[in-house]
Amino acid sequence: MTRTTPYLLASPAGLLVAGLLLGPLVLLVRVSLYEPADGRGFFTPGTWTLDNFVAVADPAGLRLLGFTAAFGAAVAAASVGVGYPLALFVRSLGPTAKRIAVAAVILPKLASALVVMFGLQQLLSAAGPVSRALVALGVVPEPVTLSRSVFAALLGEVYLVLPYAVLVLLIQLGRIDPAWEAAARGLGAGRWQAFRRVTLPLTVPGLVLAGQLGLMWGVGAFLGPMLLANPADQTLAVDVHRQAFDRQNWPRAAAGAVVLTLSAAGLGAAFAVAARRLGGGR
Amino acid sequence: MPNTADTSPTSGTGPSSAGVKDLPGCEVDGLTFGYGPTRAVRDVSFRVPEGRFLTLLGPSGCGKTTLLKLIGGYLTPAAGRVRLLGRDVTGWPPERRNAGTVFQSYALFPHLSARRNVSFGLEVRGMPYRTCLDRADALLDRAGLTPAERDRKPAALSGGQQQRVALARALVIKPDVLLLDEPFANLDRLLREQLRGAILQLQPEAGVTTVMVTHDPEEALASSDLIGVMHAGRLLQVGPPAEVYDRPRTPFVARALGDANLIDGAALNRTGTVMVRPERLVIGPDAIFCRWGWTASVRGRAYLGAVTRVELEHPGRPPLRAVVRGADLAAASRLDVGIPEAAVWTIPEAYPT
Repeated sequence: MTRTTPYLLASPAGLLVAGLLLGPLVLLVRVSLYEPADGRGFFTPGTWTLDNFVAVADPAGLRLLGFTAAFGAAVAAASVGVGYPLALFVRSLGPTAKRIAVAAVILPKLASALVVMFGLQQLLSAAGPVSRALVALGVVPEPVTLSRSVFAALLGEVYLVLPYAVLVLLIQLGRIDPAWEAAARGLGAGRWQAFRRVTLPLTVPGLVLAGQLGLMWGVGAFLGPMLLANPADQTLAVDVHRQAFDRQNWPRAAAGAVVLTLSAAGLGAAFAVAARRLGGGR
Repeated sequence: MPNTADTSPTSGTGPSSAGVKDLPGCEVDGLTFGYGPTRAVRDVSFRVPEGRFLTLLGPSGCGKTTLLKLIGGYLTPAAGRVRLLGRDVTGWPPERRNAGTVFQSYALFPHLSARRNVSFGLEVRGMPYRTCLDRADALLDRAGLTPAERDRKPAALSGGQQQRVALARALVIKPDVLLLDEPFANLDRLLREQLRGAILQLQPEAGVTTVMVTHDPEEALASSDLIGVMHAGRLLQVGPPAEVYDRPRTPFVARALGDANLIDGAALNRTGTVMVRPERLVIGPDAIFCRWGWTASVRGRAYLGAVTRVELEHPGRPPLRAVVRGADLAAASRLDVGIPEAAVWTIPEAYPT
């Protein structure tokens, strides 16, 4: 290994990041600083303005930002809340059953996200099986549409991010020696105490990473809210799409995209810092 | 389950009835783990009087660690009973048994300091946090850890310190029985010899009943009141070290505790296999006073420091291994060897070898 070898190893990824992320990002920032064209093209060349960012921060824009952040937090909480028990269950299985369970966790990733969303749309529609089951059980008097709701959008996004959360948690749980839990039991801790005092604290790094994944995924959520939520409850990503393609206002869309990128990165970092403070670095 | 006749009169009364002199500290009765031909533990029974130290000796895979886990409650037996201080604890989960275990790799909690590792067992009993830490500190002080070392995580401690923390963690709960799973696997010789001393130093007033598992016969002989030899899931023999060493029931037990000459008994007018320990052979001029004796040629020698081990050979006589002291005997190419009658033990059972 010479001193340049590490850089050579990183160069393919570096080129990808430079070409496909940094380059477009620079363009994006530039576009966000143009004046809108009001129907005569996508933007007005040669102009400079900060008005697009002011527009993102108007009351409607702030509401949008708030909803986006809350949606991200909800995706993070739900994917960790559902993923952790699932990962604990998979860990408790024998070797063969574990392999099958891990495959089953990854399986949804083989289907296109669009297929998943349309499947959920059908499942949760007024004529769908969930609605009919609720009617049959007498929970609701008549068929209900569950598909056009924040809940449906959340469900869709959690469905997409859950496999990653479970894999991250399984890897972390795999680092926990079962002898540590046995030792806790032998010292007088019941199942719950052993979990709370040994297993849980030792899973914290995995929980932080899974939460961070869910948060950043949820803040950038597009398909779920777009296809499953009400037009009134939308995330920033959907709004960027609307501004760019429905209103043909590229500078406004670019400004939204810049804010989205920065807030996703900022929230992810803030989450990591907060988690380190809380967990004492472990 | 077999053995439904529960003979334990003190069932449920707990350690308070420990005044009885001959109370069994740890008793195992017909213990079996697994099913069919793959059973890891087969019909094992023994009784360790309270405060005594039993070592289970055997090669890896003989079921000794499984047996220890059955006593600790980490595994559930297919048949048989476990009694600790007279209480039948079969089927109880580990947290109810009050058995302190030192695991093979110590299994110290990596996220807790040495002090919190030791206080853990007290904390889960609901003892005030301050009291837990004070008791942990007192015990770790006796174990020779400085206050700074007690604040360290296990990864920052030496192997010997980790062993002492593990021992303190197991003893701080005042266990009814102490279970040691190959506690020397990662330690050098000096630290091994200190273990028994460390246990005596750290344990509460009265001695704690101890069951240790090892594959090292020296360890077993040095620290035990009782030695059990295991083979393929069975306990072949259990008894005081001298008894098991001098009067093994099978050739396997004879070899398990140290070097042994196993000779066809016909050569000494006996039937079956007989055992003569190398150090019981008489080498040199005194050999003529023995019941059997001859002059053998030295085929091989290994210098072991205090003694030299020699391999002796003579046509028509059984080959023997012996130990000699002194440069003259160690260098000789021919040696007079004698077998005193008292050194010969006829092994009662032919298997396992």
